[in-house]
Amino acid sequence: MKALHIDNLQKRYPTGVEALRGVSIDIEPGAIYGLLGPNGAGKSTLIHCTTGLAQPTGGSIEVFGHDAIDNYAEARQAVGLAPQEPNLDWFLTAEETLDYHAGYFGMPKRERRERARELLETFSLTEKRDERTRTLSGGMKRRLILARAIMHRPRLLILDEPTAGVDVELRLELWHYVQKINQEGTTILLTTHYLEEAEQLCDRIAFIAEGQIVAEGTSDELAARFDVPNLEDAYLALVGRKELSRSHIELTADEVEA
Amino acid sequence: MSAAQIRFATLWRRECNRFMKIKKQTIGAPMLETFLYITVFGAALGSRIKHLHGIDYILFVIPGLIMMAFSTNAFSNNSSSILQQKFQGAIQDQLSSPASPVELLLAFSLGGFMRGLAVATLTFIVSVILVGLPVEHVLVLIPSLFLVGFFFSQLGVLIGVRAEQFDDVAFAQTFVLQPLIFLGGVFYSAALLPQPFETLTRFDPIFYMINLVRYGFVGFTEVSIPLSLLALTAATTALFLFNLRLFSRGYRLRA
Repeated sequence: MKALHIDNLQKRYPTGVEALRGVSIDIEPGAIYGLLGPNGAGKSTLIHCTTGLAQPTGGSIEVFGHDAIDNYAEARQAVGLAPQEPNLDWFLTAEETLDYHAGYFGMPKRERRERARELLETFSLTEKRDERTRTLSGGMKRRLILARAIMHRPRLLILDEPTAGVDVELRLELWHYVQKINQEGTTILLTTHYLEEAEQLCDRIAFIAEGQIVAEGTSDELAARFDVPNLEDAYLALVGRKELSRSHIELTADEVEA
Repeated sequence: MSAAQIRFATLWRRECNRFMKIKKQTIGAPMLETFLYITVFGAALGSRIKHLHGIDYILFVIPGLIMMAFSTNAFSNNSSSILQQKFQGAIQDQLSSPASPVELLLAFSLGGFMRGLAVATLTFIVSVILVGLPVEHVLVLIPSLFLVGFFFSQLGVLIGVRAEQFDDVAFAQTFVLQPLIFLGGVFYSAALLPQPFETLTRFDPIFYMINLVRYGFVGFTEVSIPLSLLALTAATTALFLFNLRLFSRGYRLRA
């Protein structure tokens, strides 16, 4: 059984935009799977379809064998989502944010309280537990969003550009959390624009462009497929910007010096 | 409690917690507004009008004010709560949970219902203490108030789901709801109006709601109670089913 099995997924918005055009993905349990692609490629749409925030117009999604589209309760129970844009409720405190989230997933009160305390401690938010989310710094909000995503102990954690716009220290901190969560048995689907992030964290990576998966494999397999030395160059080959390759720029600089 | 019960209780608690966190605005302000109406229309006008259809003017007015407090609070709570959560993106947390459309709809509806009920109950208690507001037909009053509260909760949900900006909610409240309530006979009897206004009033659905509540409290009505109850039940059910369809389709909630 796959952690996530997506077959021929299609999404056409009412405006006529075809965001997903027959996407198929399989993610093994326990893996960290990277989804890379330029803006507008369909990464967030794919995530929204998997989590129920968007309704696919075709294809199927299964999370640990449970249908995620029509009989979605079991599938959604198994998924945790940390979205790209901070979407915290301004009226809630940090602790309430975690408590309500776990309640939506049916977690009993005592367990919610213990789990919230544990996660507030893990993510260095204990001192801010009674503060409303709107007063938290950007980094704290990011940490709280990640804590909320794993609050109900999902088996599949979806991280939509979790490190976009954060400083280096927090990025490394988040990487550390992600690896720790994965070692504890959680499967992770990660979208990112940072290729070193994908290279560092992911077991397998898929390139998505114009709503289609155009390549899939390990970092080395992708580089070999595009006949380039590394993942970054493979990505640049995908988006048709080979001239931006560091090796190309370094070569040009050497030529100028010569 | 089962997981489904915990989920529904949490969704409901979140909606109630939201308005309790800003209770000066959500409970205090409507209370003040209601008592200003009672003061102006009861004490000031009441000293001139004295009686309407043999009932003290203040007692004639208060049932309409209670109904108005219930309806406007139920409506505004739900419309603004949903729009605010859509605006912040916070609603994604509920939408990506295992909650079904009916659980989500009921929880959003009951938030406003509880706020309306709180303001209406406080107004009722104070009215009993200050002017001895009676309850003549409790078996009509309770279902009528329940239906009125639930109808406007549903209406608030509908407007909140449809709205894309705060102006949309304000427009519905200021230009549709308030005129219908004021022209529905909160402060006067339709029988006192000249034609064609008396007839026009009978096309205002809120006229029937006010009469139901007024009959429950003071025993006076200008409409058929069974027919009004039936029509209100049908309208509330239809609105609930319509909203449920919107939630099931994810209309303006899911992409």
